[in-house]
Amino acid sequence: MGNETQTQVPVLQAMHIEAGYGRRRVLTDVSFALEGGTLTALLGANGCGKTTLLKVLCRQLPYAGDCMLTGQALHTLSVRELARQISYIPQRTGIAISLPVLDVVLMGFNPVLGILEHPSKQQRQQALEALRTVGMDACAEQDYLTLSEGQKQLCILARAMIEHSVLLLLDEPESALDFPHRHAMMRLLCQMIEGTDKAALISLHDPSLALNYCRQILLLKDGVCIGSLRPDKNPLSDMQRVLSAIYGPVHLTAVGENGTRQLVMLPAENENGGYYAAHNPYFSARR
Amino acid sequence: MKKQTSLILALTLFVGAMIFSLFIGKYPLTLQQLLAGDSMQQTVFLTLRLPRTLIAGLGGFALGTAGFVFQTVFRNPLAAPDMIGVSSGASAGAAFAILFLPASAMSVTLSAFAGGLLAVLLALMLASLASGKDHGSIVLAGIAVHSIAQTVLMLLKLTADPEKQLASIEYWIMGSLNAITLRQIPFYCIVCILGLLGIFLLHRQILLLSVEESEARMLGVAVGKLRLLILILATLVVASVISLTGIISFIGLLAPHIARLITRDNRLSTLLLSGLFGGLLLTVSDILARSTAASELPVSVFTSLLGAPFLLYLIIKKSDNPSKLR
Repeated sequence: MGNETQTQVPVLQAMHIEAGYGRRRVLTDVSFALEGGTLTALLGANGCGKTTLLKVLCRQLPYAGDCMLTGQALHTLSVRELARQISYIPQRTGIAISLPVLDVVLMGFNPVLGILEHPSKQQRQQALEALRTVGMDACAEQDYLTLSEGQKQLCILARAMIEHSVLLLLDEPESALDFPHRHAMMRLLCQMIEGTDKAALISLHDPSLALNYCRQILLLKDGVCIGSLRPDKNPLSDMQRVLSAIYGPVHLTAVGENGTRQLVMLPAENENGGYYAAHNPYFSARR
Repeated sequence: MKKQTSLILALTLFVGAMIFSLFIGKYPLTLQQLLAGDSMQQTVFLTLRLPRTLIAGLGGFALGTAGFVFQTVFRNPLAAPDMIGVSSGASAGAAFAILFLPASAMSVTLSAFAGGLLAVLLALMLASLASGKDHGSIVLAGIAVHSIAQTVLMLLKLTADPEKQLASIEYWIMGSLNAITLRQIPFYCIVCILGLLGIFLLHRQILLLSVEESEARMLGVAVGKLRLLILILATLVVASVISLTGIISFIGLLAPHIARLITRDNRLSTLLLSGLFGGLLLTVSDILARSTAASELPVSVFTSLLGAPFLLYLIIKKSDNPSKLR
């Protein structure tokens, strides 16, 4: 990593990013590249700077270091250009008024509409299409505020789809979703990104989603990017070592049959009967 | 469709109330005599009833629309047009004119208009000094400016001659459509209509401002500039009305809630309905203000009387989630 020569310009190239809130520095040295067609996960413990990094990339926080978006310096872009090139899906969306779901999705066209312009019939059709893709077309006329958090996330994902931006940033989109919806969302993201020239950076709590759906994993610890993984290429033992550096001792296994390979990460066993035993007296007593 | 029916119904009620308002008052007017060319009837109609009814209709419409804008931009269901200092600024301006400018209706309204605008511009300037630059700092700056304007008003009242000047200051603040003359109207109507036009054209942008700020920016919204533009438009609309009428309470708060109760969204039809209900409320309140007692009552008595119970109803009905703009 780092000295691989790229034939094409990466969608995003970040070098030595430093950022923080006021005097408190949260990110001290973060460098990475996001290539077209790659879904990249951002893993790290709570408070390591995942959200801060996403905020930097959305230009919500000042930063030091270089950040190039498709070859242009990030800080030179106007608000509209930035919005056209980057879609951002926050942990929770901040829509405070009643609006039909369709209208919320149509907000995604704002960067390409004039200030007095309204979305065209075609754009409405595209928005409905995107809602169908995420399985929410039945709710198109429903009040957005009455949706569950998971449905809201899907809706905002549909909004990101119609934006056709080259970089998609997602901040723990899985946190409000139940098991099937998590996997459905990751599959949708793969469909949106794989084989295109777009890239996505998605911060995740659940390493197994990252290991099984993302082509690249960035690991953040105490404000530093300590490495990047390629789950389909790197040997299990290497990945287990790096992941242990973040989450404490973990054990990584590959399961699957008929050519499918899925990775399972669990806390590593130790002589007392495993991670749980150290924290759960009931568990160790049973042993 | 339900939405269309409610729009037509609201429009009918609005126009009906305005026609009714033209023929209600101390001096009885009839259509026959008016058309027959009775000069007294025509004078009363043109100099008293017509301006009054026009301003009740347009003013109510403007206050309702502005209420929708403020509630959406500040993401707060209790936001009202006087939140960032328009009305206290206008009161101070009117009091200043009553004390120091040559006595004429024109000077009072102009001074009130200028006072309202000045207060809001001051609030927006103070807010732009804040590091956060979110809508919270505008609200805080508005509160600060509001109390400055109240202090100025208090000082002006202290220096006022209690017999005449103090009374007219108090009367102005209470709000009435009594003193409006035809000659004063054109300037304020044009300002008001231009502002309203801007608001209706920018409706989609106003909704985008209701999205959380960082998210809105990622949707390509230049939040700071757009919010400034829309707040200035809404302020122009409100200032042009209250400089003619004095302070009118509750309409800006109430009308948008009634509209949302019917449409359950915030689309363009809701904005239009907010205006129509605002106009209806003010016209009806004004009819009551000049016909229930021997002497005319302040119009705010009736807007509050109609408004407060409705607000309570809203609170009780929406107690499951009162913080949302449903």
